[in-house]
Amino acid sequence: MINIINLSKTYQKENNTVEALKNINMKINKGSIHGIIGFSGAGKSSLIRCINRLEEPTNGEIWIDGINLMELNRDQLRKMRKRIGMIFQSFNLLSSKTVFDNIAFPLRLSKVPESTVKEKVHSLLELVGLKDKEKAYPSMLSGGQKQRVGIARALANDPDVLLCDEATSALDPKTTKQILHLLKDINNSLGITIVVVTHEMEVIKEICDYVTILEDGEIIEEGSTTRIFSDPRNETTMHFVGSNHELPKEFKKGKVLYLSFIGDSAGKPIISKLIKEFDIEVNILSGNIEYIGGKPIGKLTVEVDTDCSKIPEVISYLENNNVKVEVIK
Amino acid sequence: MSELISLLMPSLFETLYMVLVSMIFTILLGLPLGITLVVTDKNHILPNSVLNIVLSYIINITRSLPFIILMLAIIPFTRLVVGTTIGTTAAIVPLVVAATPFFARIVETSLKEVDYGVIEASIAMGASPFQIIAKVLLPEAMPSLVLGITITLISILGYSAMAGVVGGGGLGDLAVRYGYHRFQTDVMVATVVVLIIIVQITQSIGNKLSKILSKK
Ligand SMILES: Nc1ncnc2c1ncn2[C@@H]1O[C@H](COP(=O)(O)OP(=O)(O)OP(=O)(O)O)[C@@H](O)[C@H]1O
Ligand SMILES: [Mg+2]
Repeated sequence: MINIINLSKTYQKENNTVEALKNINMKINKGSIHGIIGFSGAGKSSLIRCINRLEEPTNGEIWIDGINLMELNRDQLRKMRKRIGMIFQSFNLLSSKTVFDNIAFPLRLSKVPESTVKEKVHSLLELVGLKDKEKAYPSMLSGGQKQRVGIARALANDPDVLLCDEATSALDPKTTKQILHLLKDINNSLGITIVVVTHEMEVIKEICDYVTILEDGEIIEEGSTTRIFSDPRNETTMHFVGSNHELPKEFKKGKVLYLSFIGDSAGKPIISKLIKEFDIEVNILSGNIEYIGGKPIGKLTVEVDTDCSKIPEVISYLENNNVKVEVIK
Repeated sequence: MSELISLLMPSLFETLYMVLVSMIFTILLGLPLGITLVVTDKNHILPNSVLNIVLSYIINITRSLPFIILMLAIIPFTRLVVGTTIGTTAAIVPLVVAATPFFARIVETSLKEVDYGVIEASIAMGASPFQIIAKVLLPEAMPSLVLGITITLISILGYSAMAGVVGGGGLGDLAVRYGYHRFQTDVMVATVVVLIIIVQITQSIGNKLSKILSKK
């Protein structure tokens, strides 16, 4: 669907240059929700804004549905952009226009007949749950409602792709969830490919199928959300998934293991078998279950009180039972 | 009293004629100028630094000239445009020349207040530069533009009194002729009162209109 090849972006300001993106290669599958996460300044916004050339790439190719955006002229690019919806952290609604007129705006740009505009806007208002707000002005809406208008407006041209740059970062946690669910519903019902930029792992966990982790303009890890959460490999990724478990010193007497139970291993009494089979003491330090993309992942931090010789056996026993093991100490 | 009124009325109409016609031409010229100043900025939708810098210089130079000097300096130009250099219509030319760069800067300020995020959103929706100007920049800046027009209108009124003295007619001319040269203080006072009333009315209409238009 979206194929980014050797993309780089360098900002030139007076005499200092910032390499915001360095040779990025990534594929975004049709119909998926793809997250891009990273710290502030990692280049997330630059990356998503290069997808519709809101930011002009310094180098590289952006392919969407077999079209290389870099080869389009101005007119062709404008046409192409109508197939790419975008929503923003600060909503960017027209303050002088009502909710109806805001949503109608992209349609009127394309000179769609007024009767069609009316029909389309009403169905979009229904979709985002703002039927009673059509005559309101943006200043009269809450943040969540504004973003719903933003989403409706972005969907007006029936785009194939929806780009979201920190679309929920200005919203409270509850509203964030509602907006994320709306995006998920839209993805399910309309089959639109959604690209989500965020600095919050919660957002990724809630709706993304795939995730790309950016750091200093480079991709440091990518994979399915389930994989990234259960088996993060890069240190920054671990930071984001919250598995750079810093335990208080007093806990670290024996061997501390960090276990991730994926899929059916979450349902088996693996720990109690472990204790019986190896005749060791297992002290549970912390544990929780997270749902990532609807699938449960159990996480357990345990302290094993045994001599070192048994540890490799313990680990291979666990791994044979589909438990990912990380030795912390 | 009725004598005073019959003295004031023609001058009042001259002033209104001068100011309103000047305002119309000022908008027709200053608005596109102001828009050009904004959109040709290097971080805007039609970057063109040469045009931007040249325009900016011309505007600054015109604005540096005191109105009275400007008025005299452009006498040949005035004759070229309206065929004469005296009378109310002739006064309109220097008024427009002086007010246009002033208004262009006011338009520039108003349009720069429009959140660039909204413009980016329109670009992302596939809007053309012309559509962005007509459907985003101008409507979004309208409340501020109305206030700008109000300020310009009042400035033109001020200039028009000066233009009057050199043969333009109007209230300023009346005040000087009767109040200053003939020591008829009542005419002077009456003129000033009328000017104050015009300014008050203009400002309050402008404020109201701007408020109605503002949906923020
Ligand atoms: N218009 C610009 N001019 C100059 N430098 C820029 C510009 N935009 C971004 N940068 C720089 O490029 C780098 C990447 O910025 P970018 O906005 O893509 O990061 P981000 O990951 O979106 O960060 P945040 O989470 O803070 O939004 C930063 O170092 C930033 O300072
Ligand atoms: Mg950003």
